[in-house]
Formats: sequence, structure tokens, C-alpha cells
Amino acid sequence: MTPEELARAEDRLRNPAPGSRIEAAKKFGIDLTLLIGQLRLSPAERARQMHEVCRVAESVRGAARRRKP
Amino acid sequence: MNVEAAVQALVDAGVEFVIIGGWSAILNGSSYSTNDLDICFARKSENLRHLAQALAPFHPRLRDLPKGLPFVWDQATLRNGTVFTLDTDLGKIALLAEVAGLGTFEQITGGSVVTEAFDRHVRMLDLKSLIEAKRAAGTDKDLMVLPELESLLEAEEP
Repeated sequence: MTPEELARAEDRLRNPAPGSRIEAAKKFGIDLTLLIGQLRLSPAERARQMHEVCRVAESVRGAARRRKP
Repeated sequence: MNVEAAVQALVDAGVEFVIIGGWSAILNGSSYSTNDLDICFARKSENLRHLAQALAPFHPRLRDLPKGLPFVWDQATLRNGTVFTLDTDLGKIALLAEVAGLGTFEQITGGSVVTEAFDRHVRMLDLKSLIEAKRAAGTDKDLMVLPELESLLEAEEP
């Protein structure tokens, strides 16, 4: 995305137009600020970020059941 | 799930594939996470050979196959099926010859884009196609992500 396209997308997500799909998503419960954050990243950065999330998630999965009394 | 290693193995082996599903959503900007890699592959003989070779080092086995039953991972196995949900040493990988709502690899390439991710050039579904696929799949899990994907599409519209 060009800087102009990104700015326009961010504006649409920050200020959803009445009746828009973005407004519907907000009402559905989507955190639009997360999408703004993702849009600022390149696909490669998104992949790296999620890869790290997955790695950490795997490392702590089931930790609650392993806690000491 | 070591998705990076999986994608790199596929690309480096010369496999023709499109990233679909959750990772396609992530690459398109979704904030949802996923614990498997879904790809749509071309069914040409040469590609099946590349695909079999690419994943062989990671010991793929069918997820729903009862323990103890033999499973041969090779080009012939790939030729005889269209959906393979695999456990591998790298994590869960689903191989689809056809995507609901979109069609075969050859049919979906028009609705895909090549991007740089995982230190490789990879082909993934574009947002419009991903939305079509999710809608066609129609499960609660697929439909749940639609509001977010449609928001991204609307935000990026000219």
C-alpha cells in the first residue's frame, strides 16, 4: 500500500461510515485498532509477528494445568 | 507449528501452491491466529513429486488415520486423493487440491497474489478470494472471520 492508501484505510477503520461493513464489524466486536496495526506491517512482518505468537503460545500451552499447588 | 520452515521447504522444493486459510488471512492483515498451514496444490505429476519430496523429511501422516495403520507418503498417495490433513514434525498441514467456492489451483491463481513472506516469495489468496472461500466453507469458524476480512477489504478499496 502507498502511504496515501494506508492513511485512507486507517481513517476508514478509525471512523467507520454509517452502514459500512467496517461499522458492522465494529458492532460485531472486532477490535479495529488491531487491524490498523496489521495494515501498517508488510506481509513478511505479519508472518514474523504471528510466527512468534504461535511459538510463545506453544511454549505456554497447558501451563495452567502444570502449575504448582 | 513451524510454518516458516514448512513454507520454505515447499518453496525450495519447487512446489506450486497457494497459501489459503488462516495464514492467508494473517498475511492479508487479519489479527486472528491459527495453528495450522493450509495450502492448495497443483495436481500435475511433477508437482506431486515435488510436494512428496518436500514434506517427506518431516514425516507426514494422516491426522485421522488410526494408530498402527500403515501410511505411505509418496506421489501415488497424493495422486489418489484431494484432501490431506497431515500431522508433520513441523505441525499441522492441510493440503487441498480444490478450495470450496474457488476451485482448483489453476482456477484460484487468478485470485491470488505473490508476496514476500517467510524469507521467500509465496503465493497467497487475495482478500476477495479469501472471503469467497470462507463464505463457501460456511462453518462457524470460517464465518466468524468474515466481518474482519470484509473490513480490511473495505478499508483498502480505492
